[in-house]
Amino acid sequence: MLKAIKNWIEVRIGLDELVRDQLTEYRIPRNINLFYSLGTVAIAAFSIQVLTGIVLLVYYVPHPDHAFKSVQGIMMDVPYGWLFRQVHAVGSNLLVIVVALHMLSVFFMKSYAKPREMTWLVGFAMLLLTLTFCLSGYLLPWSQLSYWATTIVTNMPTAFPYIGDYLTEFQRGSSQVSGATLGRFFALHVMLLPALLVMLLGIHLFLIRRIGISRPPFGPGGQERVEWTQFHHESYPDGMPFYPHYIAKEVFMIMVYLSAMFFIIAFLPTLFSPADANIPADPFKTPAHIKPEWYFLAPYQMLRVIPSKFLGITLQMIAITVLFFWPFLDRKEERNILKRPVLLGGFIGALLVWIGLTIWGNF
Amino acid sequence: MIARRGFLQIILAGLGLTALGSFLYPLLRYFSPTAGEGEAEKLIVDKREIPVGGSKDILFHGTPSIIINRPQKGFIVLSKVCTHLGCLIDYEKAKKRFLCPCHAGVFDLEGNVVSGPPPAPLPQFALKIEGDNLVIG
Repeated sequence: MLKAIKNWIEVRIGLDELVRDQLTEYRIPRNINLFYSLGTVAIAAFSIQVLTGIVLLVYYVPHPDHAFKSVQGIMMDVPYGWLFRQVHAVGSNLLVIVVALHMLSVFFMKSYAKPREMTWLVGFAMLLLTLTFCLSGYLLPWSQLSYWATTIVTNMPTAFPYIGDYLTEFQRGSSQVSGATLGRFFALHVMLLPALLVMLLGIHLFLIRRIGISRPPFGPGGQERVEWTQFHHESYPDGMPFYPHYIAKEVFMIMVYLSAMFFIIAFLPTLFSPADANIPADPFKTPAHIKPEWYFLAPYQMLRVIPSKFLGITLQMIAITVLFFWPFLDRKEERNILKRPVLLGGFIGALLVWIGLTIWGNF
Repeated sequence: MIARRGFLQIILAGLGLTALGSFLYPLLRYFSPTAGEGEAEKLIVDKREIPVGGSKDILFHGTPSIIINRPQKGFIVLSKVCTHLGCLIDYEKAKKRFLCPCHAGVFDLEGNVVSGPPPAPLPQFALKIEGDNLVIG
């Protein structure tokens, strides 16, 4: 019976050929490392967010009078509601970590170099979308933490003269964070952002397969250079088969991700939800020591250190722009960052500053 | 002399841009907050509710605000929204100042920045005293 179904599909779409071309005969560099699997882990993590998000939608009510209660209801009354909500909440934080690690490893191995500049641009846009996802989702529980963290982040455009106030009101739908903000953040979170992310993901994967996966600059063959004057698909005839060899590594990394997630849910359930996350939003009282999510702590702390808000936010915009266009700014041929002490120093320095500001912002 | 093909391309591009504009403008207006609603309204508060040195939190035109009865200087109405990142300032009666819990910005009772990162003073609202009433706005 199964064979008949398979044959029915085979006749129509050539399944065997697809499997051969895309999996068993598709070869990748032998010196590829585990960091290359972070992209797949990010896709798995995003899929989990989509599935748990759909499940949560059944009981969540996007209204200021009901949002907090509905989330509490999911946690306390709905059978296994706590599980789906915890997977969604913890998963969002882990997704940011995975995407950030993926970007860092791509940067470290200079996989953004010609001809993969577009892949980097689309990937970077997806990182920004992921952060917007987290920001919009953070408001939805309508707790003190989510309300005031959103107030702080949406207030940032006011640093810009003339259009700043309008931009802030446009984001919020009102002068303060209100029901109008909740409505538009909800629509953004469950409709617009998923559609955009899926579209960008499609382009990202297309570019990876069309151009061919990059070879790590370390290990055997890492220093080989290909002159890129016209388009050709970069292939590795002597490489490792994608299936089953590399997929086994990717599955292993997804298991590591799931283990980390369920370890946090089981043993550190409040890691990403401090006390203010369990108090309903009060638009008339900012809690003491309010902080945004950990991944916004570095820019938040930067605004505390730099006395001018305009200067602080402008510096952050410049940093994001430089990173976005980095493949066009880095013109050196050498791909091994270990042979480029200035770039390596800058990379480690920037990372330490970011970690330092994040830790400092916690106090 | 423009070729027929070029002319048609310009016409088509114009039509396309007009169609796009006629879709984008309503969309932009749809998402823009309704401005001016209720802004002409005044708020009346009984001044006997606020003793000297005391305060009262109010919501004025959608902005969380505070009325302070300053010793020797009388009433003042200020926005409670910190001009740095939008957190609500706390009135510290004993120290006669406002403190922002987010980045420790400090304002005096006139709303001027004393220390910290806020880039501008707290906005002040017009206030009139009519008998026992404070008329705000």
